[in-house]
Amino acid sequence: MAQFNEESRELAVKVVYYGPALSGKTTNLQSLYEKMDPKVRGRLMTLDTKDDRTLFFDMMPVFFRTPGGVKVKIKLYTVPGQVMHESTRRIVLQGSDALVFVADSRKSETASTLAYWKDMLRNLEANGLDPHAIPIVIQKNKMDLEDVRDDEFADLSRGPKVPVVPAKAIQGEGVLETLRVLLALCYRDMDRSLGLSRRFALPENEFLGSVLSRVEAR
Amino acid sequence: MKIQPSVLLQATPLGDLLDLRSFSEVCQSFAELYRIGLKVFDGAGNRLVDVKVGNADFCGYLWQTPDGRTQCMATVQRVKTEPLHEEPAPSTVNCFAGCRYAIQPVLYEGDVIGRIVFGPFVPDDLVALPRALAELSPDFDEKVAASYLQKIRRVPQATAEKVLKHFAEILDVLVFTGHKNLLTARLHIEAVQESYREVQEKNRQIEGSYQALKELDRLKSNFLATMSHELRTPLTSVIGYSEMMLEGLGGPLTAEQREYLQIIMDKGESLLGLITSILDISKIEANRVKLVVSEVDVNTVMRDAVATVTPHARKKGLRVTWQPAQLPPVQCDREKIRQSLINLVTNAVKFTPSGGSVTVQARADGTDRVAVLVVDSGIGIAPQNLARVFDVFFQVDGTTTREFGGAGLGLAIVKSYVEAHAGDVKVESVPGQGTTFTLSLPVMASGPAALAVRAHPTAAAG
Repeated sequence: MAQFNEESRELAVKVVYYGPALSGKTTNLQSLYEKMDPKVRGRLMTLDTKDDRTLFFDMMPVFFRTPGGVKVKIKLYTVPGQVMHESTRRIVLQGSDALVFVADSRKSETASTLAYWKDMLRNLEANGLDPHAIPIVIQKNKMDLEDVRDDEFADLSRGPKVPVVPAKAIQGEGVLETLRVLLALCYRDMDRSLGLSRRFALPENEFLGSVLSRVEAR
Repeated sequence: MKIQPSVLLQATPLGDLLDLRSFSEVCQSFAELYRIGLKVFDGAGNRLVDVKVGNADFCGYLWQTPDGRTQCMATVQRVKTEPLHEEPAPSTVNCFAGCRYAIQPVLYEGDVIGRIVFGPFVPDDLVALPRALAELSPDFDEKVAASYLQKIRRVPQATAEKVLKHFAEILDVLVFTGHKNLLTARLHIEAVQESYREVQEKNRQIEGSYQALKELDRLKSNFLATMSHELRTPLTSVIGYSEMMLEGLGGPLTAEQREYLQIIMDKGESLLGLITSILDISKIEANRVKLVVSEVDVNTVMRDAVATVTPHARKKGLRVTWQPAQLPPVQCDREKIRQSLINLVTNAVKFTPSGGSVTVQARADGTDRVAVLVVDSGIGIAPQNLARVFDVFFQVDGTTTREFGGAGLGLAIVKSYVEAHAGDVKVESVPGQGTTFTLSLPVMASGPAALAVRAHPTAAAG
């Protein structure tokens, strides 16, 4: 649940990039790091092993003040993809406000994608989060590779609100679009629960515009 | 379910991200390098580091007057609390005595989590001490003050800001590194706790299954004991009445009737033996067997055992012999040891083909033990099966069950009985040539505690 501190007018949001091993979660964060204005983002924190596999998580903070004076702090996390880090995934997922499910679109990865999707739903429930209520975007990543699926991940059981965004994260394509779609969903969710526009004069275009205008257009 | 707070989102004060002792050393050397004082405060205004360079005499001189003290404290307060912007730019606080402080916010993830205070230094545009100083006290000596001021470094504003920026960048790396390590440690602890919880949960499940199995095992032993007892009672009648008829108590018998009755009696006896074995092992598993210890002549036990199996062995065409030996009397339960020896000799007879031999011999084993050996010229036991022959219900293979019969209890009983005497039983074998079982017993009985008969662990699991 996103936190809004009324006194300091600060909004804290936690976004988690979830998905199978090697589906491109860290690549998403690295690409966003490259594209974002250093004024609105902190260092990219990676906790990885020698072979570049994520050990605990990656984290990048994004922070800005809206024209209306609300301070927004978004923290983007990735989870470690390897099967053995199940408990770490569950811990990183604690208290998340929105999720990007990064999927490898190749047909060969269909089974693994479904398994991690179910794993994510299970871990959300274990953390007391409602998988049907939390904003989720599926990123159809690795569209630059051969033999990708042409469906919209119909096998992942989900509510009608989960959009699918195609991406080639390694080339930086679709990464921003994924974040934009997610933040839009996230804003509407927070607006419902916190009354961002009504009580805190933070309309959607200010929320999205403040972060996305500080990103290199490409 | 309550939503758990994330360990990753906990706010951390600046002091927790730095090792303050080594950070102070860095600040010390930094301040000495630039010959300007350095202070670091956290977001709540707590002073983490304070290095003074060159200003002690000057400030001390001003501090002597009440008015100087008041103004000095006000300056320090401003330095600590001057509002800072959330951007990496320095601001300045001028001291009433002409000196200056440069202040830089410590920014992390868009938040001001502390401040770096550089100073006091003398701005290079300061020509003379402020006139107001002369009014602090009638004793105020401008020359003394000016000489003390000389000890404070004179530096252009731009240089001070450049040095300050440089220091802020170093601190930023330290904070980032500290935060990264802190998160790693927190997550590591969480992951270990999570794994521990999982292991605990699994242990609880295993413990539950184990208790259920133990209960089932107990029920099985009870069932076996009860059934064996219940089977024995009618069987005793079957054998007894057959015997009475054979003795002619029911009137004269034809040769055929006599033969049939003899078969009924023999089969009844072997069934009784089997049921007795089951009862014995049930008692062992239920820890219900007590040893009745007396002084026993091993030669007599050997003779009895051989006499018991001789009729059957003779029928099979085997030679069973025993060799008396010079032995001390052994303190043991006569019935249990006799039963053990009969089991070994019966086994030897069972697995030795016609024309073979079974020999029972004994010898003193050192001064305090007696060994009894049962040697046969039978089919032998393959090496991979040697370790398991004492397990309950173990049979070398399915075909032996059909050819030789038996329930796989005899050797398990021997092992339990012998170990209850603090003795042991060993087996050596060459397949096709024969097997030797060696039963070794202490001459003196051990204390009563060791005398409880226990099923061998593997036997109990079998």
